[in-house]
Amino acid sequence: MNVSLKWLSDHVDFSEYSMDELDDLLTFTGIEVEGIQSLPDNLVVAEVLSSEKHPDADKLSVCQVDDGSGTPRQIVCGARNYRVGDKVPLARPGCVLDAGDGKTFEIREGKLRGVESLGMMCAASEIGLTDDADGLMILSPDLKSGTPLSEVYPAVFELEITPNRPDCLSHLGVARELAALAKKELAGASHHGDSSTPTRAAKDKEIKISTESCPYYTARIIHGVKVGESPAWLKEKLESIGLRPINNIVDITNYVLMEMGQPLHAFDMAKLDGGINVRQAAEGEEFLALDGETYPLTEEDMVIADSSKAVAIGGVMGGEDSGVTETTTDVLLESAYFVTSKIRRTARRLNLHSDSSYRFERGVDPYQVNGASDLAIKLILELAGGKAEEEMVTCGEIPAAPASVALDNDYCRSVIGAEVPDEAIEAILTSLGLSKGADAWDIPTYRLDLIRPIDLVEEVARVYGLDNVPSNQGAWFSPASQADHYFDFASGIQSTLSSLGFFEARNLKLISDQQLTDDLATSHRGMSPIRLKNPLNDEQDYLRPGLVPGLLATASRNQRFGNADVRFFEMGRVFTATPKGGEVEHEHLALLMTGERTARSWADGKPSNLDIHDLRAALEEICPKGLNLVPVDDDRMLCACSIEIGRGKKATKLGLAGIVPLARARELDLEAPVMVAEINLKKLASAAGADLKYKELPKFPSSSRDVAMLVSADLAAGIVADFFANHEEPLLESVELFDVFQDPSGEKLPADKKSLAYSISYRSGDRTLEAAEVETAHAKLLDSLKSGLHVEFR
Amino acid sequence: MLAELDAIKSDALSAIAAITDEAGLEEARVGFLGKKGRLTAASAGMRDVPREQKKDVGQKLNEVRMAITAALEGKGAVLTAAKDAAAFASIDATLPSRPLPEGGLHPLTHVLNEAVFILRRMGFALAEGPEIETEWHCFDALNTPEDHPARNESDTFYFENGKLLRTHTSSVQIRTMEKEMPPVRIIAPGSAFRRDEIDATHLSVFHQLEGLYVDKNVTLADLKGTLEYFFRELFGSRTEVRFRPHFFPFTEPSFEVDLKLHATGKAAKWIEIAGCGIVDPAVFTEVSTKRGDAAYDPSEISGFAFGMGLDRLAMIMYGIPDLRLLIENDVRFLSQFAK
Repeated sequence: MNVSLKWLSDHVDFSEYSMDELDDLLTFTGIEVEGIQSLPDNLVVAEVLSSEKHPDADKLSVCQVDDGSGTPRQIVCGARNYRVGDKVPLARPGCVLDAGDGKTFEIREGKLRGVESLGMMCAASEIGLTDDADGLMILSPDLKSGTPLSEVYPAVFELEITPNRPDCLSHLGVARELAALAKKELAGASHHGDSSTPTRAAKDKEIKISTESCPYYTARIIHGVKVGESPAWLKEKLESIGLRPINNIVDITNYVLMEMGQPLHAFDMAKLDGGINVRQAAEGEEFLALDGETYPLTEEDMVIADSSKAVAIGGVMGGEDSGVTETTTDVLLESAYFVTSKIRRTARRLNLHSDSSYRFERGVDPYQVNGASDLAIKLILELAGGKAEEEMVTCGEIPAAPASVALDNDYCRSVIGAEVPDEAIEAILTSLGLSKGADAWDIPTYRLDLIRPIDLVEEVARVYGLDNVPSNQGAWFSPASQADHYFDFASGIQSTLSSLGFFEARNLKLISDQQLTDDLATSHRGMSPIRLKNPLNDEQDYLRPGLVPGLLATASRNQRFGNADVRFFEMGRVFTATPKGGEVEHEHLALLMTGERTARSWADGKPSNLDIHDLRAALEEICPKGLNLVPVDDDRMLCACSIEIGRGKKATKLGLAGIVPLARARELDLEAPVMVAEINLKKLASAAGADLKYKELPKFPSSSRDVAMLVSADLAAGIVADFFANHEEPLLESVELFDVFQDPSGEKLPADKKSLAYSISYRSGDRTLEAAEVETAHAKLLDSLKSGLHVEFR
Repeated sequence: MLAELDAIKSDALSAIAAITDEAGLEEARVGFLGKKGRLTAASAGMRDVPREQKKDVGQKLNEVRMAITAALEGKGAVLTAAKDAAAFASIDATLPSRPLPEGGLHPLTHVLNEAVFILRRMGFALAEGPEIETEWHCFDALNTPEDHPARNESDTFYFENGKLLRTHTSSVQIRTMEKEMPPVRIIAPGSAFRRDEIDATHLSVFHQLEGLYVDKNVTLADLKGTLEYFFRELFGSRTEVRFRPHFFPFTEPSFEVDLKLHATGKAAKWIEIAGCGIVDPAVFTEVSTKRGDAAYDPSEISGFAFGMGLDRLAMIMYGIPDLRLLIENDVRFLSQFAK
């Protein structure tokens, strides 16, 4: 909401406050100052002295203007809405105006089509006052040429009023709040709330309410008004807060709205057919509002109707056809109270937000309905003449005043944690307009938010200020949670991986339909990805079921940024739906590596590409001992493997690893092989939790034998490793594969064979082995290899 | 004989002195001390030495042998030292390093870790909750009015089954109180989701850090002391912290926390960094109804809660101008935070 400093000063004198001090005062009231608008220097009132056609441009005129300097100034101008003698805003050279999008431009002397122009005459939109871009802004003729425009339109605060404080959605409301906090007198407001106008209950044909959305409605009729332009003071007030003046009647209703926070509506009596009927709309009823749009209504919406048609969407917006225009002579002024939630629903459903709906949907003081009408009538009679009917016609009841609230001062102190004296508590509440009754506080009718004791504590805390509250620093022992243990585990993996040359990526958890094809996590047990009901766009319509899609997009993006050689890891939550429709959230870790193994350097001018064995090495660094990659059938990857800890049926399956299919990699502009792995991190955490126990260091020497064997080219080394692992020989200590050789030409080896060479180590814990013992054990191993794996020895 | 030995010694020492390489050294050793060497040959002549001279000649022989051996060893040491020196003489230690792959953590992780470390020292334990939430946990239990704008489909992501993506980590407050008995002292970092178009200051998926402390007699003074200490640990002991009255449905009184930032060349500015307040009794009432017990009876216990945006914290801490940098994972960006 825009609040004009000049307007506020109608009620409170802040002349001794600097802008910063006022900003602070507002801020510690709980009203956030989002911005302060003030007009720039070198923007002054100027009178147009003459205007002639530009010699070389049909659409331009050459004007002489009086800017108060004594010498006429020549300005070339494109607007046509002004007359000689009008006062307009003039931006002199050096004036810096807002050009939108956070940019500014500076007015300079220049030539337009060869004619010198020493400044610019401005529209209201060009100086950022209102959105009126329709020709020059015509100022009050009473202004003196040369007056800085910032004196006519002083600073305006853009305030964010929190939803619990609708009473601050007006100048009077803000002034009341500030006066309380600054301990100042509130002036010029006593007449606002109360009404001296006699009222009478409406006859059915005058006003009828047939809906619960409107508890109270008033109307007052003024005959013989003269609709016309508002006086300068009124126009300037509205313009200063960004409202465009329309005519005196409409301007007065807007003024009262911004002054008191009570929305009003003025109908042209001549356009009403019979009395007012406040009713719910009929399903499918259409309404042409004064913004020129037609709105389809439902039974949920309330309308103000006459006997034949709707003339306003109650509390939201009036109609195009029933408003006050220059031909209007008789006016019906509506001032009413509507139910908050009903207005909110309609405004939201129609996406139609007006200054009126903004206030009604937050809450308006029902006890100011009559007073606001009085203020408007008084101004109408002053500014538009006419004669008001003696009585205000009312329908319905003003809702009950807020109940009083009891506050135990000890409770108040126990929440704040400070020894706030009783007198201070009472002084604060009194300053805010509350009054102390016998055993509870009476609440002013505009404070709709003060219902419970804690609501009063909030008032005391807010005004007392946290600056005056001590800072307590104390805590107790907090046992570590499962989440703590997991956090520590994950942190360890993060630092291991970053030391190994992996960058941590953090991708959005929302991915596209297309990216789902990159996923490795949803392969099994009927798990499926989860789609949003209302995605923002088709780039983000699924929750990620795995981390690989995001990492591939990251690698692809980096390729475009010029980083082709990358290692990434990502940790985080992934989401899948079970076949029964439940959601499951898991913590995953994914790795991606592609490109050259190290940076090119003097040490290695042509590093080789990373391969699946590098991926395995990284996995071994973060997994407990006993990692296995077990080949699986999975056409989403080349060399697809299940990542397992342990062997066979007892193995813990952590996830999948492999190489991205080359066609997919090429689609992503990734030329080198891309290795990926994704594992369930919580499974890894529990697999890694095994106890470590010391084993005695060997006291006796080992004895090793090498064996080179010829096997079928497609026999996986993992199968041979499994074979060794399952070979029962107490003396067998370790097996190391030290050579793999294959000759596709078939010269040195048959092309369908490969040679694997192992170094096998034997050791006993209690003696030095005899050569014969080793030979026996080794011979047994070779026999068993021959029969079990059909190998030949070289 | 003695004269001959002196001659051998003098020849040997001058020959050894002239040696320049290891081959020469070996040649000299063989030439004088080897099986057919001059000294060996001379010592063979001992048997012809008259008995009364044997002692003197023997002594001489020994002396000459030791002198030659010492000279050889001395020369050997000189040659080895020269070779050792030569071996690394051509090494240029100023060459750039042999590259190791560079890696590092995401700046958001740095900020998150630092915040978590500080808060754990202050006695908070970590807590977590689902990101796919029920409307009850995300809104109802947190005293959010039924027609609050945050519940709109235009603002919040929903699923067909009526669940939603949590719009704040505050739902973890509820999840924790549902299953833990008071006192509760937790922090919950995690993702939150809002239906915002991504731009320099908005992300549809962002990160928050939630805090909750529920016990007997928890006060605003405790909240103030906790957050002041936390932000001074994070941003430096002289950081100015202020609490501005504000409004949140689930706390009352509510405050926003501002830090005064001093950027070089600019006027110091208050920057909004967190929201906080005393847990609204209505939240305890909701939790109590759900639990079906009086563990969180608002007349018996009280609490404070706070929440802050981690992405925003990272932006402020590192001077990152655009949130999109945090989700692009550009290596040139990430490597700035690698050390």
